[in-house]
Amino acid sequence: MSAYKKEVWFTIIMSVILLLAGHVGFIFSIFPVEGNLFGFPIMYIVPILVGWFGIFILTIIAGKIGNHIDDAIDAENEENIKEQNAEMKGVR
Amino acid sequence: MEQAWQLTNPVIGIVIVFATFVLFYAVSYFSNRASKSVEDLYIAGAAVGPITNGLAMASTYMSLATFLGVTALILRIQVPFVLLWIQMILAIPLITIIYGTSLRRMGAFSPTHFVRERYGVSASLIAALFMILVSIMYALGQMIGIAVTFETLLGIPYSTGLIVGGFLIVGFVTLGGMSGATNNAAIQMVIIALMFIIPLGAIMKAMGGSGWYFPPLFYADMVPAMLEAMPNFFDYQYSPKWYFAIIPALTIGALGLPHLAMRIYTASNLKSARQAMIWCVLVLGLIFSATYAMGFAGVYYAQISGVEISPADADKLTIILNLVYNPEWVTALVIAGAISAGLSTLNGNLLAIGALISQDIVTTLRPKLINKSKVRLGYMSIAMGGLLSILLAFNPPEFLTVSILWAFGLSGVTNAPLIIMGVWWKEANKYGAMAASVIGGVVYVIVSPFVLPNIVVSGHALTDGMGLSGAMLAVPLSFILLIVVSYITNRIPALQKNLPTDEDHKLVERIHGWSDVNPARYNSTFGAFVMTSLSIAVFVWALLPWVF
Repeated sequence: MSAYKKEVWFTIIMSVILLLAGHVGFIFSIFPVEGNLFGFPIMYIVPILVGWFGIFILTIIAGKIGNHIDDAIDAENEENIKEQNAEMKGVR
Repeated sequence: MEQAWQLTNPVIGIVIVFATFVLFYAVSYFSNRASKSVEDLYIAGAAVGPITNGLAMASTYMSLATFLGVTALILRIQVPFVLLWIQMILAIPLITIIYGTSLRRMGAFSPTHFVRERYGVSASLIAALFMILVSIMYALGQMIGIAVTFETLLGIPYSTGLIVGGFLIVGFVTLGGMSGATNNAAIQMVIIALMFIIPLGAIMKAMGGSGWYFPPLFYADMVPAMLEAMPNFFDYQYSPKWYFAIIPALTIGALGLPHLAMRIYTASNLKSARQAMIWCVLVLGLIFSATYAMGFAGVYYAQISGVEISPADADKLTIILNLVYNPEWVTALVIAGAISAGLSTLNGNLLAIGALISQDIVTTLRPKLINKSKVRLGYMSIAMGGLLSILLAFNPPEFLTVSILWAFGLSGVTNAPLIIMGVWWKEANKYGAMAASVIGGVVYVIVSPFVLPNIVVSGHALTDGMGLSGAMLAVPLSFILLIVVSYITNRIPALQKNLPTDEDHKLVERIHGWSDVNPARYNSTFGAFVMTSLSIAVFVWALLPWVF
């Protein structure tokens, strides 16, 4: 996959996952569940935990992938420059 | 039974607050001695490390509302407000991923700086004016909040608190620039965390909670007693539509807030910006969770003690709990923490106003200013923004003191679509941007309950007042207008001479890190079609009757 496609798909997928993780309350409002977790109602504590630790983990992943995509774009840039230079030499 | 909530010995409070101001002045002075350019002034020379920046991001984001407003709204509407607030943590990660790193690569001072480069002067002036309005609403809220805190808790008259406090604040913001603001915000973050969480632990312990050693999450043993005292505390109360409306209003709204985005531009490099995002989320999650626990404790106290907390006193819930359960000197520290939270946000707002006035308006209209004049103009703009906030706070116009959450929606309507589409879709042009910002902005203002109370979207006072329903209508409208108007005008030959298409394409490629221009990149008509379809669906849903 080209660096461009990686960048676009990463941004779309990561934004959607972050949106879902930050809006677990919205999901529970459509699909309510009963029961307790760690002594709290599930529909209270899960949005809080996902809204903190879930997003924390997602930002670590997003940071790593973001850095990787920057490197991929740099590598593709260098390749493009090499190709252009080779073409220029061919023309001469 | 109603009572006045105030320190019996305000001197302790005044001394502690004064000591924090001395600290902030010292940090400002030492941080900003080398501010020689506008880059130094607004983005701290783009050289801030990840931990300092992460703490500063969190602190700038957390306003006086974190200490006072959130707990008051949990007291008023209980768990739905907790669920509304949780998504606030998304702002910095989403800004960083969607456009922050791109604008950092471009070297932008503010989001409006990007709008100027991307869409031209007219569109950027419109966006800048809306952003100044949003920033002033935000700054005014903090200024009034700080003066009210001085008045009600320390016994200092409102006008005196406003003049003395206001000038002290404007002084250290202007003195410090972004470098001082960043270092101060990082220190303020530590103060906020300590002054909020440790006293909360003591309150929990006094209430009989066994998890006092980590109060943000360990209060489950109080849940049965809460359910007995208030069986509906954990109820969701509202429909899925209400919870969905939070996305356009607050999540997308936060993407357009200039003082948040500017924090990312201060990073020393892109890796550092991404690391700062991680630190920011860790700290924000901690404080936000503590806020929910404080709200829980407040509701619990109000239910079991029988003490009536009047609506006017609801904002003081955090302080009331401290006055009841902790010694006065602890309450004084909490008040200093609350004021620190207001200060760090105000600091960011005033810098944003400074950048908007000097860089996005004056320098746009007079581009030949020399560097020294730009820096001088910058300091003057920051000070003017502060003075304006103080003057407005004496007798604030009603339309400026509406909920700060409503201002999120305004930024979501007038700025966020321009930035998001401008970064990701080459076809976005100035006609689309101006149509989106002006028409979207006007529609959002019209359907707010503050201008024409009869023209509202949901008819539910709280939902309309916080801008949830208005943004659910106007944010998708802005996206639709931007995409459709850009698409059509790009195909009208007579308008081609007014559109710097090649330069726009180069800019879009450059901010994503590409050294060449490839017509296939960031040009997806299908993507624009999907975005328009989603926006139409949300727009129509907003118009359908609201059921609560």
